[in-house]
Amino acid sequence: MAFKQIFLRLIQYFQCFFIVGLLLSAQAEAEVGITPINLSPDEQTWLREHPVIRLAPDPNFAPIEWFNQHGDYNGITSDYVRILEELLGIQFEIIQGSSWKDILEKVKKGEVDVLSAIIRSTDREQYLAFTEPYFVAKRALFSNRELSGIEGLDDLEGHKIAVVHGSWMDETLSGKPDMLINRFQDLSTALTATSLGVTDVTGSALDAMAFTRSREGLTNLQIVGELPNDLLLSFAVNKNLSPLAGILDKALAAISPEEASRIRSRWIEVAETHFWEQPVYQYSALGLLTLLLTAMAAVVVWNRTLNARVQERSKQLYEAEMQLIQAEKMESVGRLSAGVAHEVKNPLAIIQMGADYLKDVVSPADGVHEVIADIEDAVQRADRVIKDLLDFSHNDELQLRPEDLNVVVDEALRMVAHEFVRRNITTQVQLSADNPPVEMDANKIQQVFINMLMNAAQAIGKDGKVSISCATVEFEGDENSAMFQPGESVLRLTITDNGPGISKDVLERLFDPFFTTKPVGEGTGLGLSVSRNIMELHSGRLAICNAPTGGALVIMDFKLRGES
Amino acid sequence: MSKKRILVVDDEVALTRMVKLNLERTGNYEVRTENRGPMAIPAAIEFRPDLILLDVMMPGMTGDEIAAKLREDPALSHIKYIFVTAIVTKAETDSMSANIGGNVFLAKPIKAQELIDAIELALRD
Repeated sequence: MAFKQIFLRLIQYFQCFFIVGLLLSAQAEAEVGITPINLSPDEQTWLREHPVIRLAPDPNFAPIEWFNQHGDYNGITSDYVRILEELLGIQFEIIQGSSWKDILEKVKKGEVDVLSAIIRSTDREQYLAFTEPYFVAKRALFSNRELSGIEGLDDLEGHKIAVVHGSWMDETLSGKPDMLINRFQDLSTALTATSLGVTDVTGSALDAMAFTRSREGLTNLQIVGELPNDLLLSFAVNKNLSPLAGILDKALAAISPEEASRIRSRWIEVAETHFWEQPVYQYSALGLLTLLLTAMAAVVVWNRTLNARVQERSKQLYEAEMQLIQAEKMESVGRLSAGVAHEVKNPLAIIQMGADYLKDVVSPADGVHEVIADIEDAVQRADRVIKDLLDFSHNDELQLRPEDLNVVVDEALRMVAHEFVRRNITTQVQLSADNPPVEMDANKIQQVFINMLMNAAQAIGKDGKVSISCATVEFEGDENSAMFQPGESVLRLTITDNGPGISKDVLERLFDPFFTTKPVGEGTGLGLSVSRNIMELHSGRLAICNAPTGGALVIMDFKLRGES
Repeated sequence: MSKKRILVVDDEVALTRMVKLNLERTGNYEVRTENRGPMAIPAAIEFRPDLILLDVMMPGMTGDEIAAKLREDPALSHIKYIFVTAIVTKAETDSMSANIGGNVFLAKPIKAQELIDAIELALRD
């Protein structure tokens, strides 16, 4: 759903960009700078008498003028022609000749009245009347290789030169006997010949050659020289129709330089650049590209976020499932424990009372008192097992108060001091004085500490060291716990011993209820599971692993106030 | 000084016997036992004990129900109670606090001397 919305939004943005682009480019076309013209009565009469005037463009002189593949008249001059038609109220009959040479022949024969893009020359003035130039084109030479030292036509001696047959270049070079001139029917053919190395160089209008190079894909051609004396293009009429030249001059003069410039830029830009190089497309493409990149980045980020969320949810689900299983297990054990406790405690009470009675009535000299003492020990041990079981199933009754963890640790150490001295175990305690208070049931947490310390002592056996430290740390992401978020501040107490450490198979079962590595009678196997339950009831965490330095490492994380 | 009368109510016959033996051996108490919860009431009316040792969990009638019933009788209002139970949890004591609140509460297995101390303490109040 979200993808679809993003896609639709992208299309909307692209449409906006495209429309803005079009509007910007269309603005230029909207402002036309043409002033009305005043024709003399004779001129007006002449025009009425000649309602149709035959005009022959150069069929292949893009972007000045040419016919496209559908036979449509295009180019800079075509715009001038349309403006002239409008200004003069006449209609040109467009004659499509096969080549420049062909239309020159046609005008000589009187089959064409007007040529629209021609350079004045003495020869041509014999049969044509010229208007003032309306377009200035730079002349240049194109070649498929580096040609140095070409600054004028005279420098072309010894080179095979490609020209359009009948063109101004052709006429100019024809007067120079040392030139190796190769005449082609149109500019495309001339440039192709140079591109293929048939000729060394092609000479013509720069704009026309650049356009043709792009259109024909003659990418190996390059400008090897610009020639002095720009080409001045004019309209020319058959001398028989000489009044038309004056009329056309008036009309051409009505076209402002700004309008002329717009016409030029419209076709030159189109001619010199690919469609995708035009601003309207560039703006649109840039906008689209930006949007696509943004969208891609958004999708990547979204994907990652989604992935992280899925993993987070999976983790939470797994943990919730584990907690549920654990809760069910606890409930079963709790029910069992309560039943067992009730059934076992009554006989224990009877044994205890019986032993107490016997102790009073039997003489100590008989040695029976030792037997009774053993009975009492057994009763106390059995009672402890039952007590552990009940703790295991009834540890949800916390008396929570803000407590100083250091005080609780000190108290626990005091409780185990005798055992530690007996085993010759030293302690190294590093507690921070400014630890924040923690909401806890001090008795329960002390029970956990004592459990952990006694486990450490039993792991060491005799002669060893237990290190205890406490500090506020940042919870790390790979420390799997439903209680804390990565980066959350926790109060961490660690207990490290220099015992033999914990084997892998024992580590896996460490928190299983009734799992114990202690000799029969010395442990119920409930200490660690009870301890962990107590920590979890405090929204804390108990983890045990092997320390990098050897021995076991106990980590107890406590929730700090204000952390969620 | 006359002996104090102690009524011991528990469904465990052997336990009531052991408690009776331990208490009577001191020479300070006259002890009567009852193993059926509901029969504790007529036994109390008849025996007029100074203190009743009541097991909380018994079939038929629980310790707190027996105490509540006896406290209704002004003639028996002087009786002190000590409750004993096999399971001591906060939830358990909370649920019965209306009837056993303020009374001594002991967890099985209890040593004879601890029981005697508790009885002496209760009777002194």
